[in-house]
Amino acid sequence: MDRAAPPGGIPATGMIGRVRVPSDPAAAPRLATLAGLEPALRVTELVKRYPTGTEALKGVSLEIPAGEFFGLLGPNGAGKSTLIHCATGLARPTSGDIRVFGHDAVHHYRDARLAVGLAPQDLNLDWFLTVEETLDYHGGYFGMPRKERRERTRELLEIFSLTGKRDDRTRTLSGGMKRRLVLARALMHRPRLLILDEPTAGVDVELRLELWHYVQRINAEATTILLTTHYLEEAEQLCSRIAFINEGEIVAEGTGRELAARYGVASLEDAYLELVGRNELSRTRLAADAS
Amino acid sequence: MTAAQIRLLSLTRREVTRFMKIKRQTLGAPLLETFLYMSVFGAALGSRIDKLHGVDYVVFIVPGLIMMGWAMNAFTNNSSSILQQKFQRAIDEQLSSPASPLELLLAFSLGGFLRGMLVAALTFAAAAVLVDVGVAHVLVLVPALLLVGLFFSQLGVLIGVRAEQFDDVSFYQTFVLQPLIFLGGVFYSASLLPEPFRTLTRLDPVYYMINLVRYGFIGYTETNVGVSLALLCAAALGLLAVNYRLFVSGYRLRA
Repeated sequence: MDRAAPPGGIPATGMIGRVRVPSDPAAAPRLATLAGLEPALRVTELVKRYPTGTEALKGVSLEIPAGEFFGLLGPNGAGKSTLIHCATGLARPTSGDIRVFGHDAVHHYRDARLAVGLAPQDLNLDWFLTVEETLDYHGGYFGMPRKERRERTRELLEIFSLTGKRDDRTRTLSGGMKRRLVLARALMHRPRLLILDEPTAGVDVELRLELWHYVQRINAEATTILLTTHYLEEAEQLCSRIAFINEGEIVAEGTGRELAARYGVASLEDAYLELVGRNELSRTRLAADAS
Repeated sequence: MTAAQIRLLSLTRREVTRFMKIKRQTLGAPLLETFLYMSVFGAALGSRIDKLHGVDYVVFIVPGLIMMGWAMNAFTNNSSSILQQKFQRAIDEQLSSPASPLELLLAFSLGGFLRGMLVAALTFAAAAVLVDVGVAHVLVLVPALLLVGLFFSQLGVLIGVRAEQFDDVSFYQTFVLQPLIFLGGVFYSASLLPEPFRTLTRLDPVYYMINLVRYGFIGYTETNVGVSLALLCAAALGLLAVNYRLFVSGYRLRA
């Protein structure tokens, strides 16, 4: 990690752990070419009703343009993970339409899933595999030829400072190493849409900043990113646009400033507290009351 | 190789890697179990039993032991592997990949099928060293063993997908499969049983499988070979079709 770089900015060089990743001067032109593409994710009137009768998504519609760094915020149980699961084939939508770069993610899922990399909230690594096997098998599940898998594995092990752990079983890794591996695995097949479901939950400050820098870099290099997080500071730092989801519905969408303005408050945090009906916790209000 | 072939190969390799990394448990234990059965029932007890249908008692039980090894390992492997991956949510990686339901089903099935085949082959090799085991009807033996492997690997997949806890898997293994296999005549000839046990044995589907395999090895059977093969084929393909429907629907795999 470039420790001199500000946490919110894109560093000249990206680095996870002690490995330096050269910046890509071609990134800006590549990003510019994304303007004419299909949206990375287009969700239309998505409903997900579980057999228990719980309606986790109540007609959600959402569009994430290619190349965007998009944040999805909401309290626990709001429908964030269900939305992600519907987009990645882990949940079956009750009705509605999901398209990833124009590909139907439900009925003609193959091209849609090839375009998506998912780093789930749970560290769902395969206990029987080593670090290297984890990446290699993932590439295989996505149809990558052996030579390409080998090269990509080596590259990701370097980037995420996992080369020394390549032969270790995944369950012997520390929490931080597991988190790195989950992210490396999601990137293995070079997805155009990277979905990060609470990627920094429970990680230390250093790793959080490293991950921030890395995902900012790959976003600058044209990877669209959908981030869910409970850390509002993280969403503010990273996301160009944010949507609030609550009780299975998208209730607001815009930049951090726009959301604050919409709720008539000073910050994204206060807007969020308005959303969940807990504005008595607002630090701005408490500070004002104290003075 | 096409992308589909790479996917299927990688998914299957994952299953094989899993059981090869714990081979003391997945290969060593079943082989020891078979060796103990042969020692106790064959060498110790068998020395006091006269020939059964013209062959030594220990030779008579070897086909059943080979079939049992393939069947139990195919079932146990697939049911445990799927349930473990569901527990760890590691299965999400495969479910969110471009792999089709058929590719996923084949890979999960092949894991247990190949483990069962390996255990059966090692059992046969060990038995061939200890006793004189020949192959009387290879054209019956090979399809019979392959169908037994297919049937139990599909059964393992079905139970693994349905199971919500390890108790569900061990229930089927201990209270359903093991009694059916043991009472299907691995260690004895049903023709020697008194009524009503002789008739009851004929209600056990595993009885027909054991007879098919025994016929393949030593040429002795108490059932109609053609009918048994046809029924086994129908049952195996029927289970395959049921599992395919489950994988397409995502039953207990996708929320």
